[in-house]
Amino acid sequence: MPALELTDIQGIILRGYGSLRGACFVLLAVDDPGATKRWLGELDLRSGQTRPSAADTCVNIAFTYGGLARLGFSSDSLAMFAGEFREGMTATKHRQRILGDLGESQPEGWRWGGPRGERVDLLLMLYAADEQIEQTYQRHAGRFPGAGLRVIERLTTIFLPGRKEHFGFRDGIAQPLIEGFDEPGRPGNTVAAGEFVLGYVNAYGQYTQRPLLSPAQDPQGILPSTPTASGSRDFGRNGSYLVFRQLSQDVGTFWRFLDDKTRTAAGAADPAARLKLASKMVGRWPSGAPLVKTPDADNPQLADDDDFLYHGSGDAHGFKCPVGSHVRRSNPRDALEPDPGSERSIEVGKRHRIIRRGRAYGPPLATSMEPTDMLAAGDATQERGLHFICFNTHIGRQFEFIQHTWVNNPKFDGLYTDDDPLIGDRGADDKDEAGTFTVQATPVRTRVVGLPRFVHVRGGAYFFMPGIRAVRFLATLPAPV
Amino acid sequence: MPHQESLTVIDQIKPGQIGPLKELLGTLAEHRDTWEVIPFGKLPALHFARLVVFDETKDLAGTVVPARLALLTNIDAPLDAHLHALATLGGDGLDRVFGHCHDFPAPGARTVGSRTDYLRGHAVPSRVFYVNRQGRSVQQITQEAALRRAIDGFLDTRDFSGKSPLEVRKAIQEFVRTQPDLGWATSPAEPPSRRWRTREALHKVLMAAAAVILSPIVLVSLPIWLLLLRRHETRDVPDPSQASADHVRTFRADEDFGGQNQILAVGFFKPGWFRKLTATAILGLTDYAVRHIYNRGSLSGLNTIHFARWVPLDDDKRMFFSSNYDGSLESYMNDFIDKAAWGLNAIFSNGDGFPRAAYLFCGGITDEQAYKRFLPTRQVQSRVWYSAYKNLSTKNIANNAEIRQALFAPLDQDQTDAWLRRFGVGNELPAPALVARLLNRIPWERTCRHWS
Repeated sequence: MPALELTDIQGIILRGYGSLRGACFVLLAVDDPGATKRWLGELDLRSGQTRPSAADTCVNIAFTYGGLARLGFSSDSLAMFAGEFREGMTATKHRQRILGDLGESQPEGWRWGGPRGERVDLLLMLYAADEQIEQTYQRHAGRFPGAGLRVIERLTTIFLPGRKEHFGFRDGIAQPLIEGFDEPGRPGNTVAAGEFVLGYVNAYGQYTQRPLLSPAQDPQGILPSTPTASGSRDFGRNGSYLVFRQLSQDVGTFWRFLDDKTRTAAGAADPAARLKLASKMVGRWPSGAPLVKTPDADNPQLADDDDFLYHGSGDAHGFKCPVGSHVRRSNPRDALEPDPGSERSIEVGKRHRIIRRGRAYGPPLATSMEPTDMLAAGDATQERGLHFICFNTHIGRQFEFIQHTWVNNPKFDGLYTDDDPLIGDRGADDKDEAGTFTVQATPVRTRVVGLPRFVHVRGGAYFFMPGIRAVRFLATLPAPV
Repeated sequence: MPHQESLTVIDQIKPGQIGPLKELLGTLAEHRDTWEVIPFGKLPALHFARLVVFDETKDLAGTVVPARLALLTNIDAPLDAHLHALATLGGDGLDRVFGHCHDFPAPGARTVGSRTDYLRGHAVPSRVFYVNRQGRSVQQITQEAALRRAIDGFLDTRDFSGKSPLEVRKAIQEFVRTQPDLGWATSPAEPPSRRWRTREALHKVLMAAAAVILSPIVLVSLPIWLLLLRRHETRDVPDPSQASADHVRTFRADEDFGGQNQILAVGFFKPGWFRKLTATAILGLTDYAVRHIYNRGSLSGLNTIHFARWVPLDDDKRMFFSSNYDGSLESYMNDFIDKAAWGLNAIFSNGDGFPRAAYLFCGGITDEQAYKRFLPTRQVQSRVWYSAYKNLSTKNIANNAEIRQALFAPLDQDQTDAWLRRFGVGNELPAPALVARLLNRIPWERTCRHWS
């Protein structure tokens, strides 16, 4: 297979920038396209060629559909983007049902990206050392007025101890490996590059649809040519769709619910049972150790362990890691049809993977990240959560499929009323009954019913992150007539 | 318990009536809970129902094909009882809906008898009718769902830690015995009638025997057929057109209100006798396969379909496919590609405009993008749709049935463990039939890579 063009792919797609603990996401509106294009032409974008050092500053950029149109990208080329991107995250009631953006999470109430919010054209992503990020932002912000840019929202992030998310669990462990880029890891985890970067062969052996331009539309010859020698110029190559969701986490409600459900008959708190039930819901212990490998107690030595299957690791029935748990349903590995436990099952699963690049935001409820301290802290008014970010090339088959067919589906893998115990939408609005969490066990299952919704959506949009040459190309576009 | 049947009633819409009819029918999203005109929820033994308008169109030769209305139902046998229920309980609504059609009795002549005659006279048999699992009546499905719900509630009230599986099972049995409204559950569900089972068994054997007898002729003509097939396949012209975003949105607007969805797609056969002959043979094989081979709830891993049918239209010039399934259309299309591409290619590649197939079984819908672009160009809106059990997936129904079937049956220790697991998650489906297992082992993806 052809090697990836690392110098043309924006770095955040291929690398998580783990060495840079500071990050800031700036949502911008373009008021003066001409000025913005001049600024774009000079913007120093980080490519995926090398891993950043702790002293580096990395900049990446992505565009909404409206943003590309505003910069003068032609409408016939825009029509070649994926339907989900063209339509946007909030445009139809159907997409709200698919994503679970209903009730308290409906776009009308979003801070940004919703129908009542201001137009978002660009997403500027800044990464630096923790103590450098403010300065980095100020340096960039100083150029916004001259670049015809207006800040809609500046989303700050926080690096939580142990790389945890706010509920207290290590996050971002399982990631697909990209064919032709990553060293091969556990079997079944290496996925065709075209699933994450356009212009390469995808998991169906095809090139995903993307804007292809005629040579006349690229007179300076900035864009790469298509890999299939069609004579077209490939605007999509080395680009990827970026899904952004601001997910607010109700940490107090989460732990109070667990505390309440695990009290002893005498009404005393049972911290061990509380932690175990929470870990059953996640599918990993707070350290990150997978339940499939250590079902009875946490084991920090397995913190980053991702080398397991479900059927293939002796947990076909979910006795170790429940069938409905968050990690099992958002990445079922070998657990689903056809023929669970088989190579074929894993191959089909590869058509529904995403690369996650999210970062936490808001102060932790308790700096120790210990459930007991979080319970004692009560509920501050401060919002906290996750700026969920993922990359994929087919939003409908990857991100939206995971969201609807796995995460929010109460019928997942033969369950009845169990949506994702951690992030599920609880059958928001008029969908099926949900909010049950079943713990498969011998001699018979136990279950918790009436789970409230712990995670709400506060903003979001579908972006396109072009290759670096494609960004340069945008900078040269003539003004729209 | 009765077996299940499909009913398709089709009639031509009177000139000028298509607008008023569509207005009366509205859209699925507008009345997704109940539609007052025909009270489907009051009709006994009805699993699914829908009303579909096929707009006027032109066939491949350019001849006008008039607009038609179709009523589709999935029911428990006998059909006569269903027709009677439609003509009585649904009589007024039937008048209002089919009153827009060509052959419906005139206002003065609308009686139970004339309506029933009309329905029978305009019924078109399905060429293939797929049932997830034959023999589960509406009553059985809803009763067994209530049984499982009751047992779940009971399990929630007790702490069984430290108890043996046998003790838990006995406690469940004891609980069911004490529930007066669960008395029916103390005996297993009856199979379909002996007459129906005999008919099916005969069909299975006689058709297989016929195949053996005809096999020399088939084998001799196979090379010629293959040659002709390849000639057709290389000359076929896939339809490159794309449905507009607005058109696609009209379908999406009706989808994903719950766990179940519906789809209907219609297309013309490719011209010429060769495709007609191939399609007839493949549909015959498919009919045999879904009745006798893939009859345990799974089509090579695709197990989300409750009911599906292929029905010819307009003197066999075209055919529609409709199904009631679990999950989103996106997941349904992926299931088609990932699990059952070979079978669906064999049928649908005889349809005009289909993505190019190779050797009948390969290519076709495995061209993911071409297939997902093609489908909305052939899709038709179901304007009214009814499901008797919206909150049950095919797996839920199968699991509930297994719980009830084994509730008081003698079980060994392994069987007891497996039975108790069904309260934790219902993902253990019965093993496919032997022939299905063999067919499932064909490595289509690898084989097709060499062929296409």
